[in-house]
Amino acid sequence: MSDEKQQVSRRQFLNYTLTGVGGFMAAGLLISPIRMAIDPVLKESSAGDMANVGLSVDDITAEPQRIDWTIDQVDGWYESEVNRAAWVYRNENDEIVAFSPVCKHLGCVVSWEGSDQHPNEYFCPCHDGRYYKDGTNVPGTPPLAPLDEYEQEVRDGMLFLGEPKPRGEA
Amino acid sequence: MKWRKADLQTYFQSKEYIDSIVVPLVPFGIANDEESEKAAIQAEMITLLSHELEKELTGRMLLAPHYSYLKSIDKQTEVARLNRWSAEMKEQPFKHIFHLTFDPSWKKHEQELESTLLWIPAVQTGELNSKEMHKTVREQVAQMVELIRAYW
Ligand code: FES
Repeated sequence: MSDEKQQVSRRQFLNYTLTGVGGFMAAGLLISPIRMAIDPVLKESSAGDMANVGLSVDDITAEPQRIDWTIDQVDGWYESEVNRAAWVYRNENDEIVAFSPVCKHLGCVVSWEGSDQHPNEYFCPCHDGRYYKDGTNVPGTPPLAPLDEYEQEVRDGMLFLGEPKPRGEA
Repeated sequence: MKWRKADLQTYFQSKEYIDSIVVPLVPFGIANDEESEKAAIQAEMITLLSHELEKELTGRMLLAPHYSYLKSIDKQTEVARLNRWSAEMKEQPFKHIFHLTFDPSWKKHEQELESTLLWIPAVQTGELNSKEMHKTVREQVAQMVELIRAYW
């Protein structure tokens, strides 16, 4: 008899605790964006940092080439390695340009000359989005903005890239 | 797009552009140590591959959660269940339903499936984070992208 009583109260107790935890989790979910904004420890560690992408500036030509590198990123619960990619080339003014390969339509990955029918352009395989060599979106294709451009820096002859930044409306 | 709230909101707004859904098929079984280990590795690999694939084609495909099944259950039952899933997805409408798996036993039932089976031969079991593995994964993803584009 008393055993049963105890069991019931134990169940109640556990239920109670669970509800408590649930409440705590909901609160956590609500709070987290604010905490992210004010707590520097929780911020993306890579923000503002430039990463050495392992490409010597001497190897950058007029032909866009794809480079891949990884950065450490704190993403909510996990700290993880995140893959990044860029298309890098030298424009007619001899300036180095690094584009993010993320399509401005719905985010697929574009490739330089990714379609045989459209030479000298970036091509998005998802809905045939296209961009000229300077990153400007080809009118009449789904993307409505040019490709984002990476912040960049050259240190000791090596290319360093930061965050991709929008270039504004074309 | 992934199966998460933020992505779904984009999906709802852009349904006409997202006409494909990818469902990883992942066997489960804990009866036999060796088999379980194999199943677990495959699950890890398919998670990795499907996420990389999703990254490439995010604007046109939705990556569904893993579809899990017991290895010991007869495939006929699973084919029927899977086709129910496909029927629901087609109503969305998803024009292309891809089932991604390492499990060769689906191959025999390919004809009965109301979807496209993308069977990938299991890769050698190396360290998931090694340089070679990265290369292998990248190559496999590139091939999967090509294959899916062939259906578009
Ligand atoms: S995502 Fe690139 S064209 Fe639609």
